[in-house]
Amino acid sequence: MIRADFRAWLRRHGYSLLSSVGSLVREPASSMMTITVLAIALSLPLGLHTTLVNFDHVHAELDRLDSISVFLGPEIDAVQARRLASSLSGRPDIVAADPISPEQGLRELAGATGLDALEVGDVPLPWLLQVIPGAGRDLGALSDVLRQLPEVDLVVIDLDWIRRLESILDVFRSLVRVLAVLFGLSLLFVISNTIRTEVERRHEEIEVMALVGATAGYIRRPFLYAGLWMGLAGAVLAWLLVQAGVLAMQGPVSRLAASYSADVGLAGPAIDLLLPLLGASAALGVVGAWLAVSRALARIHP
Amino acid sequence: MTTDASSAMIVFEHVAKRYPGGVQALSDVNFELARGEMAFLTGHSGAGKSTLLRLIALLERPSRGQVVFDGRNIVRLSRAQIPRLRRRVGVIFQDHKLLTDRKVLDNVALPLLIAGLPWSEIRRRVRAVLDLVGLLDKEAMPIPTLSGGEQQRVGIARAMVAKPALLLADEPTGNLDPELSAELMQLFCTLNELGTTVLIATHDLDLVHRLGRRTLALRAGQMVADGPPGAQQITEPTR
Repeated sequence: MIRADFRAWLRRHGYSLLSSVGSLVREPASSMMTITVLAIALSLPLGLHTTLVNFDHVHAELDRLDSISVFLGPEIDAVQARRLASSLSGRPDIVAADPISPEQGLRELAGATGLDALEVGDVPLPWLLQVIPGAGRDLGALSDVLRQLPEVDLVVIDLDWIRRLESILDVFRSLVRVLAVLFGLSLLFVISNTIRTEVERRHEEIEVMALVGATAGYIRRPFLYAGLWMGLAGAVLAWLLVQAGVLAMQGPVSRLAASYSADVGLAGPAIDLLLPLLGASAALGVVGAWLAVSRALARIHP
Repeated sequence: MTTDASSAMIVFEHVAKRYPGGVQALSDVNFELARGEMAFLTGHSGAGKSTLLRLIALLERPSRGQVVFDGRNIVRLSRAQIPRLRRRVGVIFQDHKLLTDRKVLDNVALPLLIAGLPWSEIRRRVRAVLDLVGLLDKEAMPIPTLSGGEQQRVGIARAMVAKPALLLADEPTGNLDPELSAELMQLFCTLNELGTTVLIATHDLDLVHRLGRRTLALRAGQMVADGPPGAQQITEPTR
């Protein structure tokens, strides 16, 4: 008896499942539009998350982009500065050492402070070497070595902008979390609204089913499946959208990276993110459908 | 109230129904319908015929009194218990209430799908009941391509397919010409002979007289006449 009941239950589920797929397929245009809206809503937080993950990758390589500013003594002239620069460039732990003349420094200073070059003209500026260390080198040790050189007056490791980037990334990380919640909610309402329209469109059918003895659960089930399908399809499409976006940005980003002599490949959304995404989206779909049908059922009061 | 309670299909005791807004659809209605009986419910529109049928299928709840179906007072059934009751009552509506975007087969199959029967069993029973109402060759037709009489018969097939104990029909001949109406009534008589209890609301007094069955008459929400039960044989029109 129990087994027979269970089989009937299974069959009812099967019929609901088929009917839900049927109604999605019968209205391909409107289903597709809903799924696209869902996918776009989902792809925004997913895309931002992927961007951040990629930033972290780049970030790991950023150490080698740290530059050390080496201020030379005021008595060092252009010839000595250039000679020191080229000899430093020869060191294995240094990628590049660019000499910056006092005039150039003055122009930059004037530009940065907004003062006329003539007004700051009296400030005595030394020659400066912009040293870019090799990847993975110990900046502290290298700056110690540089500090020992007789021509060197002052060594400054400029890490401020990296720290700033770090805090900007932190801001974006919390933004992703906020967006994920917001777009998750929008997903809930999009699905709920779509199902509500569907419920209204199929008002007669629901009434008829209630009249011939369908339980609320039986009436609700095809709509819950519809919510499930829409949630899943939306998640898959969002995934593909972000993947396509990453592919489209691959070229420009690697050209940009190449200009920093860095080799940065963009990564798509991590594959172990797909399951949670599908799960969350499907769950939101089912919950949204549940809300919509329950409201409609209460109103129709079969 | 002479019938033995256990043999009664429906018992109404002091039933009143007042709709929100103050319309008194039924006031103090008492009657019994025995198992296997067939009766007509007559009266002008607005007399309360539809309300009375709706109370039996629990599409409405009475404001007062008891409605007993198959030995059980259904007035206090919870909403979760209503579907089980409706599966035992086949209802035929004047406006058919068919799913117009589905085929005949799917419409008739609906109660069996809801019951979760295997598809092969569903097909067998749908074909049997379509054969009974004479629509076997229309199985795969979409509803809108059928005539009014055919659509009404699809409604009857759907009401019958789950073998309900009781069949309720609300103005089943409402939009049909006299010939089709007579044919349809004949079908109800056949179903009754096969053992189903039948209660038909109609204002087609002509037809009712010709069939000579028990007739309950409602006027302004009150039972004004309960005609003698007619012979269980079908009385053919003498014309």
